Amino acid sequence: MLGKRQMWIAWPAFLMAGVLEILVFSMLDPSNLDWFGAPLEISRQGIYTIAFFVFWSITLTSSALTTLLSLSPFEINRCPLQASERPDGCPKQEKHC
Amino acid sequence: MAISKGVSGKVIPIAAEMPDEVMISLYEAQKKIYPRSVAGIFTNWRWGMVWLTQIIFYGLPWLDWGQRQAVLFDLGVRRFYIFGLILYPQDLIYLTGLLVISALSLFLFTALAGRLWCGFACPQTVYTEIFLWIERKIEGDRASRMRLDKLPFSLEKVGRKAAKHLVWISVALWTGYTFVGYFTPIRELGMEFSQAALGPWEGFWVFFYGFATYGNAGFMREQVCKYMCPYARFQSAMFDHDTLIVTYDTERGEPRGGRSRMADTKQLALGSCVDCSLCVQVCPTGIDIRNGLQYECIGCGACADVCDTVMDKMGYERGLVKFSTQNAIALHWSRQEMLKRLFRPRVLIYASVLAIISIGMLVSLSFRTPFKVDVVRDRGVMSRIVEGDKIENVYRLQIMNATEHLQHYKISAGGLPGLGIESDSDESNDLVFIAPAQSKWVTIHLQVPEETAVPGSHAIEFVVQALDTPDHVSEKSVFLVPR
Repeated sequence: MLGKRQMWIAWPAFLMAGVLEILVFSMLDPSNLDWFGAPLEISRQGIYTIAFFVFWSITLTSSALTTLLSLSPFEINRCPLQASERPDGCPKQEKHC
Repeated sequence: MAISKGVSGKVIPIAAEMPDEVMISLYEAQKKIYPRSVAGIFTNWRWGMVWLTQIIFYGLPWLDWGQRQAVLFDLGVRRFYIFGLILYPQDLIYLTGLLVISALSLFLFTALAGRLWCGFACPQTVYTEIFLWIERKIEGDRASRMRLDKLPFSLEKVGRKAAKHLVWISVALWTGYTFVGYFTPIRELGMEFSQAALGPWEGFWVFFYGFATYGNAGFMREQVCKYMCPYARFQSAMFDHDTLIVTYDTERGEPRGGRSRMADTKQLALGSCVDCSLCVQVCPTGIDIRNGLQYECIGCGACADVCDTVMDKMGYERGLVKFSTQNAIALHWSRQEMLKRLFRPRVLIYASVLAIISIGMLVSLSFRTPFKVDVVRDRGVMSRIVEGDKIENVYRLQIMNATEHLQHYKISAGGLPGLGIESDSDESNDLVFIAPAQSKWVTIHLQVPEETAVPGSHAIEFVVQALDTPDHVSEKSVFLVPR
């Protein structure tokens, strides 16, 4: 379950980061960028790469928040049952959940 | 024994109270799938597509066009080269057009024949197929692989596993290298690679893409289709009962059951399905097609291929599992009757919109002006009075040559009485020449006589005329006259 959640968070975020990257850099030439007044001394490829991961980390946060807020009360509240007594299919039966 | 109550008031059953009942888990543990190899017409088609797509993918960056790489999305200098076409970032509209065309094609093919893309052309399927082939060559087919995985640690096991991963990693790295070769000239990249002088960013992306290939095709496989792909989730929006999909003919197959080849099915009251479970074993996503249309089905037809071989062995008619439509199966249509329904409104609408946009894009590409102009007002100077009682504004023009030849351009400006380009200074010049596929920033000083100038902001227009071709580009700007 944890693995699947990580995929749900990382993958759509990755796709949207790619879209952002294309949109932003088709309109903006990284060599025109300033960093607090001083020109950035990184190659275009470098800025593309760094920007992609900045975009990805932001979209990741959005996906992670969506996943967090979509948890059911059963997954958040403390469970009155021992782990061994939880029914099949209970998300809390698995570790890490 | 405690009984917990849910929010909705439903009693949540506890396993201990009902030991005999099996609960269906919403969060099933992932079982590793060992797809069995299969031969047949759909498998041949899939391998045909694997070859076709990969010859294009691995081969294209090595193709030359004149002095340069034929297909190169050169991010370093912000130019896209596609054979004779040179695109600048300002040509984003064509990328948008291409995406719209791709989406519409996907809709059209999905409405016609289901998830053709998934089963035959998606990189996830193609690379999984290649990686599975390698796995099969080194570890053997399904049964041997399952046995090997259960075996305790041994020299042979380690050797086979290591060999497999080594080959996988090589293919993955070559894929990453090829991918980056679309964005950085691939021969230079190869040279840098062989001299261990790969740029840090290029190097990073070779390994990143290689790692993604290795992970997706070696380990994630069907999980990508089942849990990561949005396309599978909205397939039903494009499907109808006349869409060709991989279907199991329930009426013919059921009741299923094992029997000898000689047995009379009528006497046994059995359908054609011999319940050999081969269709499940060959399935790359591990589903049972006999349960009907499922979102996990990638439409690869492996089950249809394997079922045909079983039907042949049993001496039954082929096509218990086949590409067919839900209507054709339910209403016992012939092939002709089924294919007649291909031309239905949904398909015709998708096809005509696709045709209109494709033609529009081709027309726009063939009629586009082979150069571009951007006009930027100089940030330092708003407006100034210069020698000879003239008011001057300074502009910077970027002229982008999108042809393969050296081009000459003449710049002129109009829109204000007496407006002219000052040509005495060294930097301002109305004649520009630009090398093939290059761009140049030109500084232009525009002047008007002070006595005729009206204070305020005036709309003006730059006209850049190509001298070697009949094309010209007009760009609007403003001329400021101080009070």
